[in-house]
Amino acid sequence: MRFNEKELVCLSRQPSEMAAELGMRGPKKGDVVKRRLVKLVVNFLFYFRTDEEEPVGALLLEQCRVEREDTQIFSVAFLDDAERKYLFECDSEEQCKEWIDSIIKASYEFMRRNLIFYRTEIHRLTGKDPLEQYGISEETRFQVNSGSQLMARDTSSL
Amino acid sequence: MKLNEKILTHFLSCTSPVDKEGYLYKKKERNGTYHRRWFVLKANLLFYQERPADRHLMGVIVLEGCTVQMLESDGYFPFSLEFGAGFKSYRFAAGDAQTQGRWMKALFLASHCYLSCLLRDLERQYEEAKQQQESNVPSSSFKSLCPPTNSLLVPTLGPSAAVREGRSFSATAALPPRSLPTKVTGKKSPKKWPRRNAYVTPLNGPAPLYGEWPLVGSDPLVEFSKLHAYYGKEVQNAREEWLRSRQTEENHSEKDLIDLG
Repeated sequence: MRFNEKELVCLSRQPSEMAAELGMRGPKKGDVVKRRLVKLVVNFLFYFRTDEEEPVGALLLEQCRVEREDTQIFSVAFLDDAERKYLFECDSEEQCKEWIDSIIKASYEFMRRNLIFYRTEIHRLTGKDPLEQYGISEETRFQVNSGSQLMARDTSSL
Repeated sequence: MKLNEKILTHFLSCTSPVDKEGYLYKKKERNGTYHRRWFVLKANLLFYQERPADRHLMGVIVLEGCTVQMLESDGYFPFSLEFGAGFKSYRFAAGDAQTQGRWMKALFLASHCYLSCLLRDLERQYEEAKQQQESNVPSSSFKSLCPPTNSLLVPTLGPSAAVREGRSFSATAALPPRSLPTKVTGKKSPKKWPRRNAYVTPLNGPAPLYGEWPLVGSDPLVEFSKLHAYYGKEVQNAREEWLRSRQTEENHSEKDLIDLG
């Protein structure tokens, strides 16, 4: 499968508040813990060898489950397969919590749900649809019953 | 760099919303010919394959840091994704102007950055709307509460006009800085990573867009009550001042007591 690698590598180099050296273990049996610079940029988790500019790899943080495994360890599981998890070892409980929180909040789908919440609430409180001023109130992307409906929605029923 | 493809194909096939799908022509980089492909836009990812039913996914384009540009018509209705200097552009064409316009708009709105920007804006509007409701101050005092229109969030289409800022991951340049107090969520900065390679991006960059914000859906009452108390004091003072001035002056011209500009 082709992907825009150059652009993605560039993305990985953007400043991020969540970037730290963690112990990382892959999901396969036999994978061992390796020190990696793990960096969260938009909804991707990049991981670098600590002295390299280009990431070793990138994980899309959608449809994943983030869990606390131990005081300082969290896991990220994909593909509805709870058995195959990526494990991350942090230096403190606080750092661990922060990573879990950040990864959950970074997901596009999570953000979309919050947007819909705010949109609905603002409409309820003010009688106005806040997306109208941006000319995007009919976009499928921001609909209350998002996604499957491709028909324009009547926003007065929000 | 390795991209975990299974995660992507799973994301494509799962039940999360499809933001747009349809046929478009994609220009092959090497020989410049157009090939019809089936595109599926989900979140900030543009997937493409030969036909809708195909199992084989040809590719994906991550839509971060790009602008959408309308190109001069060559019989088709072309447009491109531009990632900036040093990056090749991705060229597409639609069969008609309407399809072209709709796809361009959809792609413009697709990035995580855009959503983050929009979310912050709505969050601010939500706080203001709640304050207004809670304190029951007559609406005339809140004339300036109307949120400023942020032109960065408005997709405008024009011939050969860049629809959004150039390759910039910080799309919020025009938005006012966040006033949300950090003490509410009480986060500490992450452990500093020792800089081993001068070329690797340092940690101390500008604050990202997708930073802290109230946990929605996770005991919101706790967070909002704190926020309400914090903003409530300000509003309380303003209200008292307004009441006092109302009592003493009767022929003063109406003036906004709170400068929310």
